[in-house]
Amino acid sequence: MTTHDIVLEWQDGQTEHISVDEDETVLEATRANDLGLPFGCLTGACATCAGRLTVGDLTHQRPPRALKDYQQQQGYALLCIAEPRSDCHIEVGARIQAEMIVTPWK
Amino acid sequence: MSDIEPTADTEVHHHAQTEGPGYATPQAAIEESDPERLAYVMGLYVGTDVDAPDFLSVVDVDPESETYTEVIDRVEMPNRGDELHHFGWNACSSSCHIDELERRHLIIPGQRSSRIHVVDTKNRRDPQIETVIEPEELFEYDLSAPHTVHCIPDGEILISMLGDANGELPGGFLELNDDFEIEGRWDPPGEIEMNYDFWYQPRHNVMVSSEWAAPTTYYPGFDLEDVENGMYGQRLHVWDWAEGNVEQTIDLGEDGLIPLEVRFLHSPEATHGYVGAALSSNIFHFFEADGEWHAENVIDVESREHEDWEMDVPGLVTDLLISMDDRYLFFGNWLHGDVRMYDISDPANPRLADRIWAGGYFGDSHPTGADDREVVGGPQMLQLSLDGERLYWTTSLFSSWDNQFYPKEAEKGSVMLKADVNPRNGTMELDEDFLVDFGDSPHGPARAHEIRWPDGDCTSDVWQ
Repeated sequence: MTTHDIVLEWQDGQTEHISVDEDETVLEATRANDLGLPFGCLTGACATCAGRLTVGDLTHQRPPRALKDYQQQQGYALLCIAEPRSDCHIEVGARIQAEMIVTPWK
Repeated sequence: MSDIEPTADTEVHHHAQTEGPGYATPQAAIEESDPERLAYVMGLYVGTDVDAPDFLSVVDVDPESETYTEVIDRVEMPNRGDELHHFGWNACSSSCHIDELERRHLIIPGQRSSRIHVVDTKNRRDPQIETVIEPEELFEYDLSAPHTVHCIPDGEILISMLGDANGELPGGFLELNDDFEIEGRWDPPGEIEMNYDFWYQPRHNVMVSSEWAAPTTYYPGFDLEDVENGMYGQRLHVWDWAEGNVEQTIDLGEDGLIPLEVRFLHSPEATHGYVGAALSSNIFHFFEADGEWHAENVIDVESREHEDWEMDVPGLVTDLLISMDDRYLFFGNWLHGDVRMYDISDPANPRLADRIWAGGYFGDSHPTGADDREVVGGPQMLQLSLDGERLYWTTSLFSSWDNQFYPKEAEKGSVMLKADVNPRNGTMELDEDFLVDFGDSPHGPARAHEIRWPDGDCTSDVWQ
């Protein structure tokens, strides 16, 4: 099984390195490492688990229904259904989901 | 109130020997109930960096108690990520003719997880999780995103489901039996596309349901582009209660964007109700006349200028409720920051009786005193005492929407506030001594959502 080195970067500067198998989601790996990332539906419908990929390659194991095309182009990924295909750097934490959608009217 | 002549069916339904879990009539609920001493309130960590599950909180609302205004117990859910949202009882006054039933189990869905928890409140101050229905069991029925829970008169439980197994449309309804097992789908799939809240009046064989959007649309947050693309609801569905079919659909138009909470008057004879349209900030009165159901916009909340906003701020009418005596309607303007009280003794012509400002974009950030903690968010989920004299509310709407409109709420948590209501004079006064702070919860600041009383309340009890 191919394993990749994933660097998780929080906005407060915290970083963690974890190993993630290609047939394992990033979220599953973080839960196994007690890293406590946010999540909700676990099926790619709600985006609670959103992260932003800055380096590397992730693939979604099923369509990420909670992401719009432009959000995927900006590097957002749903870590509950995202598997690595290379070593990656991913920005994580609850604020990533909040950044994904512009606050209307303001 | 009543504008329908009693039928042979209604005449034979009487409650002279009520032994079941509720009250014989709404007036009996007012007369026979004790003042609320405990409140059950949803507490949430979903969508934050707090590594803890959501919880059911038990709040002491007894002014004679040493722990008044404190959370005295928390029932942590077995999993993280649920987004506990709305919840309901296994039995209410509609089942008051079924002797063996008790109003004892809370049915608590996870909106994001699609997991359903059953909590036994036999010990009111120390409830316990009894069983959990896992998401995969719901997905088997091609349903997800459980929302409103109502007991139904034969002891079973009906839950509105907002999406299919993929979080897309159509939604539908799931039925549980009185052993808390999935009975199946209540409705033929495809009767509706969008779903949200519902309320039924069995004596008139009618149910009305409303529309939010597909879970994949509203879960991530509120995107105006989705509104422009017609992805949010604006219709009411009128169901044949016995058959489970939609008989009539009412399009509310542009004034009825995102119709959420549905409330019939409590009188089982009444054929009047209200629904709040969140985005267009209106209240619609729906009613039956000449064999058809109609909906009319009876309250408009005007948008307001704010120096920090490019566009006027809508009120965003979210929760509403009707007092048990059917005299008053209360609703929250979540963005503006006021909670309003309307006289609805003429249901087609509500009259503003009073309002309170607390939080929001225009209300007082410190309504309970300059030294008290700041109120982030606006009046949201409401609950009224059965006697109509105490109105309580919390401030969180939905985690991802909170983060857009009140990002500080993730750091500060929610509060629960209270007003003293004078039904005779039609007035409210904020109780400055009452503030439940969910910001100092043990794992970190929590959001607070829906409120229920152990003995039934103004947003869950239905009479048959």
